[in-house]
Amino acid sequence: MDPAIQAENLTKKYGNFVAVDHINFTINKGEIFSLLGPNGAGKTTTIGMLSTVKRPTEGDAYILGYSIVKHKYHVRKIIGVSPQDLTADDELSGYENVLIMAKLFGYRGNEAEDRAKWALNFMDLWDSAFKKVREYSGGMRRRLEIAMSIVHNPSVIFLDEPTVGLDVQSRRHIWDLVRELKKNGTTVLLTTHYMEEAEALSDRVAIIDHGKIIAIGTPSELKAKIKGDRIYILVKDNNKLDEVINKINDFLPNSASKIDNQILVKTESSSEFLPQLIKILSGYEVVELKVVKPNLEEVFLELTGRGLREEEGGFDRFKYMRVTRGATR
Amino acid sequence: MIQEVYTLTVRELKKWLSRRGTFIVSLITPLFWLGLFGKSLNFAQMFAPTNIPPQYSSLISQYVNHQLLNLFGTTSYFTYLASGMLVVFGFFQSVFGGTNLVFEKRLGYLNRLLMTPTPRSGIFLSKVFGTLIRILFYETILMLIAWGLGIKFKPGLNVINVLLAGIAIVLIAIGFVSVFAAIAFNVDNVEIMFAIVNLINLPLMFASSALFPLKQMPSWLQEIAKFNPITYAADIVRYNLIGTPISNYLLSWAILIALSLALFIIGMLVSINAMERT
Repeated sequence: MDPAIQAENLTKKYGNFVAVDHINFTINKGEIFSLLGPNGAGKTTTIGMLSTVKRPTEGDAYILGYSIVKHKYHVRKIIGVSPQDLTADDELSGYENVLIMAKLFGYRGNEAEDRAKWALNFMDLWDSAFKKVREYSGGMRRRLEIAMSIVHNPSVIFLDEPTVGLDVQSRRHIWDLVRELKKNGTTVLLTTHYMEEAEALSDRVAIIDHGKIIAIGTPSELKAKIKGDRIYILVKDNNKLDEVINKINDFLPNSASKIDNQILVKTESSSEFLPQLIKILSGYEVVELKVVKPNLEEVFLELTGRGLREEEGGFDRFKYMRVTRGATR
Repeated sequence: MIQEVYTLTVRELKKWLSRRGTFIVSLITPLFWLGLFGKSLNFAQMFAPTNIPPQYSSLISQYVNHQLLNLFGTTSYFTYLASGMLVVFGFFQSVFGGTNLVFEKRLGYLNRLLMTPTPRSGIFLSKVFGTLIRILFYETILMLIAWGLGIKFKPGLNVINVLLAGIAIVLIAIGFVSVFAAIAFNVDNVEIMFAIVNLINLPLMFASSALFPLKQMPSWLQEIAKFNPITYAADIVRYNLIGTPISNYLLSWAILIALSLALFIIGMLVSINAMERT
């Protein structure tokens, strides 16, 4: 299959800090490819380089054969970028914002107006097209950003955290629209720190951490890296965590460990182990117990020892699981 | 490139028109200068003879007026200040064109533009044109206000005079919009931008003939003022609007054009370099 994007040793350094560290990947035409990683992993810097606004310190990348270093102008004509920032002008209408982008990509007169109308229709915003952007909801603003990015019908589109801060309903709406882009033949490179987003949308996922790609594959391939299930246990008395862990490990050696004031038990089959686990826990006050089937969050945890959102000021795995179950249901 | 520059300039103007509050706020500073400073500093009134026999009173008045005419080219300091303020206001507005750019960088809009095939010079030029159109609009309003407050235009003032004064203001604006856009393209922090603006604004205003004539300044300041384009723009505007004589009118034009062009070219090159250097 023809590659749409090829990154070769792509690197970005700021002084001694390496934001992106010699990454390599190939994205096929018409594919939805996700860069999944926590905040500060290097996802946005990668998009910045691929979209020609940041110059790589080393390496190069090719968008449909055009070098992001040598053929910047050509690259800019064939890509669309929906940045993480909300960039649309509040004082203008959605239509005016999209029309400006159409004109900057060379469309004139009626043709520019038709393109703007198409993009707004595609993103389900035509009904609100002539409202000032300041009157838009968060979800509408995100969709407007994408409309501004697809108005020139780009072959490749970069979506940098397209659903960050949105409620479940708005997020799912954007997911549907991204799938529509794929149906139209557009190649989509998506960055996200929501594992459920990467899992729901992507043909393939690259897990990135500290500027390096640590795993790459289809969601199924990545999940296959984890054998068995994960059981998370939250006991009321934190002082008894070690005691509980020792008891579990006596029964199933090296299966239990402490993580974020919780107990993590790795087991081949949770259904076979649960009766014994309940017996072990009978002497303790258990606040919550969760059985987790393999997912990308667990893959990230397995590979890095950290949760995807730990940098956001603490990570409540139980709360996280409640939220994400709602999002993926 | 023309379509891109036109599109982005229209965007600038639409945003400006939609923020009605800033229209009033932008006029407040020059109104304070004109209404409070200019009208209060009435030298003819300050030195008006009181409790002096009439035969001396008339003589003193004649002497004061002669001195004022010699110093300011007019007996009304308000007239002198108002014509200078037209130039200073153009300069101030140019500066704030640059500060807007820092906000656009912070909000990510500039990055979005840089991801399009729009020429970098087009992005720069749209900033210059957008600011220039705003300045010309404000200058017209300010001139009407000065007229209402009692500026004494020269006898026989015609459209050509007004047009030439306008061109001088446009030249000064082009020069300084370019400089402050170049600074803004290289600065990410709004506080730093405002610090630079304050550092440059007042010294440039005072080291010029905008508020007081050069011959009143210490010799070292006069030397500095000779390199300040505001001096030449203020002289040309006064010559055309209130009839203050200039020692060499054509040379003043030549220096103003040369300085503004130099600032424009330097500003554009530095801005383009900043947009490409990330």
